[in-house]
Amino acid sequence: MSPRFRRFTLAAAVVVGIGAMGALAVMAGLFATSVVDASARTPLAKEEMKELVERGRYLTRAADCAACHTAEGGAPFAGGRAFAMPFGTLYSTNISPDPETGIGRWTRADFQRAVRDGVAAGGRHLYPAMPYVSYRDLTATDTDAIYAYLMSRSPIRQQNRANTFPFDYVRPTLTFWNLLHLPARGVAPEPSRPAAWNRGRYLVGALGHCGECHTPRDLTLGMIPSRYLHGARIEDVDAPDITSAGLLLMGFDAGSLARYLPAGMGPQGVMNFSMYDVVHNSTRYLTADDAAAMADYLMGSRPTPAPPAQAGPIPVAAPPGGRQTYVQLCSACHGVDGEGIPHVSPPLRTNASLRLPSPRNLLVVVVAGLPDRPLPGGERLQAMPGFGTLLDDRQIADLVNYLRGTWGGTPRTVTLDEVRAVRPTQP
Amino acid sequence: MTMRSSPLSLSVNGKPVGPINVPDDMMLLDVLHEYLGLTGSRVSCGQGICHACAVIIDGPDGPREIRSCITGAHFFAGKAIRTVEGHAERDAQGNVVRLSPVQQAFIEHFAFQCGYCTPGFVTAATVLVERLKTSPVARPDLEAAITKALGQHICRCTGYVRYFEAVRDLILATPGLVRG
Repeated sequence: MSPRFRRFTLAAAVVVGIGAMGALAVMAGLFATSVVDASARTPLAKEEMKELVERGRYLTRAADCAACHTAEGGAPFAGGRAFAMPFGTLYSTNISPDPETGIGRWTRADFQRAVRDGVAAGGRHLYPAMPYVSYRDLTATDTDAIYAYLMSRSPIRQQNRANTFPFDYVRPTLTFWNLLHLPARGVAPEPSRPAAWNRGRYLVGALGHCGECHTPRDLTLGMIPSRYLHGARIEDVDAPDITSAGLLLMGFDAGSLARYLPAGMGPQGVMNFSMYDVVHNSTRYLTADDAAAMADYLMGSRPTPAPPAQAGPIPVAAPPGGRQTYVQLCSACHGVDGEGIPHVSPPLRTNASLRLPSPRNLLVVVVAGLPDRPLPGGERLQAMPGFGTLLDDRQIADLVNYLRGTWGGTPRTVTLDEVRAVRPTQP
Repeated sequence: MTMRSSPLSLSVNGKPVGPINVPDDMMLLDVLHEYLGLTGSRVSCGQGICHACAVIIDGPDGPREIRSCITGAHFFAGKAIRTVEGHAERDAQGNVVRLSPVQQAFIEHFAFQCGYCTPGFVTAATVLVERLKTSPVARPDLEAAITKALGQHICRCTGYVRYFEAVRDLILATPGLVRG
């Protein structure tokens, strides 16, 4: 062995050794930062807990804990909702105060760590399906209030379902993921901005964790900071761009958005797909001030916007078949001129789905339809039938092109491939 | 927006109809009532919820139920439909000589009271029976299949049970509709 080779081997061994030690250190959490203050180790007094419950109820709703931690038809906060992932199914956990199966034995500090650091009691790393990256910005007091509220509820004895991940032992390696994607510190309020703006940012970013769905993710499944709220494909539909430009394109201004968030419907259409859960469990309970703060923050400093410049009829030769199909199959409910029927079906001529750059959501609705579901304030629109069996790909493409071109101001030509992509694989 | 009228031809209850001049935005139900004198299909909610207006469309993939109050008449151009008037056997003068098995089963089970929803239920049950002739249902799945076929239809008198039992008894008594 030449001295040079020996030196090389030694150097390589040192590099590998340092790398391995570094990896172990990361896995051991040496670089992990906590935003939880040492004061959280002091338990809250009974009276303090009691006083926090009502506020906690509001915050728990604003943070939409119920949507994920409640299975369909299951007890609230008892967990068990399935999340299909590419590599297996993840089940949400029981966060009712049952000592055996829930979080009944969790201390104040345990809860703070889980919600804001992503580390559950006992040091088990949570998968980032739990939006601790967003919740990191929650204040300690608000987290305490949520804790107090959850602990005030009846315990539900329901065993957590085991995830079907083949590699559940990778949990400790989430420390690497956290190094990449979990900010060391939460975001502090900006004193130079008005209180309402800071409140809006807090509601959107931390409590409402809107970015978790509306921000595209990179290859490591972390949110891309520079594309915050720019929209993403999630559960086969588009969570639209909700930056001020995106909202403007959909036909929102701050006032209409502030009304839309708690109502779940408006001239822009009905909250559907996962956003139905959001209005049903969360935004319907927002105070008018909080909804306005969110809307103001999201719309940014834009002046009161007129409807999007490109909305309204555009001089694109609409396929005659599209208009024909619309009049024959859609107009009875949505109106010959897209005006809709109050309490029955939403107007289309102001519908946000027609204005999105991608036709995906509109196609999904045309093909599969939508269920009728109760909306806040006793409102309930009727079910929309799916037309996937009645219409062929060409007819659907023509219809969607007609709708988008006529009322959406979106001249893009929808292709047959785009229609095929939303059809269920099993008829 | 004013609507033009266009000529429409279709097949109704096995007979060719048209060409008749029909407004482009007119729903099939109105054409049945106002142009063809077929008033058996009911208008109730007028927005596709109650299914009292349902008729059968005979397409390449077999019979299917379709709501005539929310489907434009011109959608049916060149297509074949059956309304409640077309189910019973008639003599040369057009008098009913024998009800369809579904209609007979509804009467035997006292399935309806005011009868307003009945044309829609006849449509749904007939589609189900005819589809089972080509693809029979496994016995354990029968009840679910009936619920799926009739479940969207609204009845305000008899509480659905008699309609349900009538259809189940008819299917069980008809050879070849149920497997196993």
